Amino acid sequence: MECVVQGIIETQHVEALEILLQGLCGVQRERLRVHELTLKSLPNLGSVSSEVRLLCDLDQAEPTWTVKHVGGAMRGAGADQLSVMVRAMIESRVSKNALRMFYSLGYKLDHELLKVGFAFHFQRTAHISVSVSSVSKMPKIHAIDEAVPVTPGMQIVDVTAPATPENYSEVAAAVSSFCEFLAPLVHLSKPFISMGVVPTAAAAAASLMSDGGGTTL
Amino acid sequence: MPVKWVLYWQPNQGTTVSTQILNEATQCVESINGVKEGRWKATLNYYKPMLRDQSNHPDLPRDFLGISLADQPSKYYFVIRSQRIVVEADASIQLIMEKLQSYKSKVSLYFDGFQYQLGDFRVRVGRVVPVHSESVRGIVMEVEYLPISSMEKSRKVMEEFVEIWHEALSKRSLSGKFVNIELNFGEFGLADTYTPQHTGVQYAIVMAHMIATVQPARG
Repeated sequence: MECVVQGIIETQHVEALEILLQGLCGVQRERLRVHELTLKSLPNLGSVSSEVRLLCDLDQAEPTWTVKHVGGAMRGAGADQLSVMVRAMIESRVSKNALRMFYSLGYKLDHELLKVGFAFHFQRTAHISVSVSSVSKMPKIHAIDEAVPVTPGMQIVDVTAPATPENYSEVAAAVSSFCEFLAPLVHLSKPFISMGVVPTAAAAAASLMSDGGGTTL
Repeated sequence: MPVKWVLYWQPNQGTTVSTQILNEATQCVESINGVKEGRWKATLNYYKPMLRDQSNHPDLPRDFLGISLADQPSKYYFVIRSQRIVVEADASIQLIMEKLQSYKSKVSLYFDGFQYQLGDFRVRVGRVVPVHSESVRGIVMEVEYLPISSMEKSRKVMEEFVEIWHEALSKRSLSGKFVNIELNFGEFGLADTYTPQHTGVQYAIVMAHMIATVQPARG
């Protein structure tokens, strides 16, 4: 299970966001370079069609792989009142031939993306991860070096935190609270409910850039 | 990780496997000064594809299995023998498989028995039993040579151990023998340095041989 919010930011303001995050998180940023492959089951396979994501971390000397299953979002009055999405999510590290295994099991590549940027992982009531990345698609299968941005000039901001059925309220509150600090630069909301860019982001970014993050926004 | 060979009991033609073989084997280990360290357990699951239209059979593997090993409790190993695929994953992969609902575990087997220290060797002997059944499907034996991780470098000493083992066991006049299957790990993309994935492959091959050659019997 995880709590998640997303937003978009113009590439020109990413440096300011990084300065802000550096000040808020108190940890070193990590590079992000992930090849994400979404696989879908063959038409007849499974009681319902299924989807699984394979993530290849290209930033390591030896690429490492993770399998991720993202489930449905929590629904109901309780979920509606939360400003974050709470959804089922399971991850597992896997060895490098997992893709070949899933192909053999009847899964086909639906689409693939390359995410390049940076991330911060830190503890603030919950274990929160913030990533800022440019998302690119590949003109040919697995052609990472030829990837082109899906939204040139714009980057995606993801804020996630693992949660359990027992603590998701606290985790959601922690994520929401943290997101308020980022509000001058990026609107963060439940995935698929885009709030657009922050119209005053330019001013906030300029302020951050001028004194390296010492300004309180 | 130390090199490990996984052997299985092949009964003589016309005979079956039983818990008695396991008892004799464990007594034999103790008779050659094996020091009992405790119990061990592993689990193997055979997966079957779930098809919405049973009359439409896409080309999917029939030998897809998953293994949970005693010495790797946080990991899970998938093997598709016909495709020469072995994958190591975190144990949480089993939850992902449940969520996907594309494959379900239809047959599960336990391996359980005792573990012994024998000088530089660690030996495990155990019975193979389907979950929710008392029928002994087979007997397996793991032989681990602790000082060496190289398959090639350990070959001679492992062969010598197995020979000594055969000799010790032959005094008990049992109707069968423990068999080691020669495997080309390279076909599975595995190198000379031993890993748990090597163990996963061995178990998959052992089970294939066991199903083909060993008649089950009540334990």
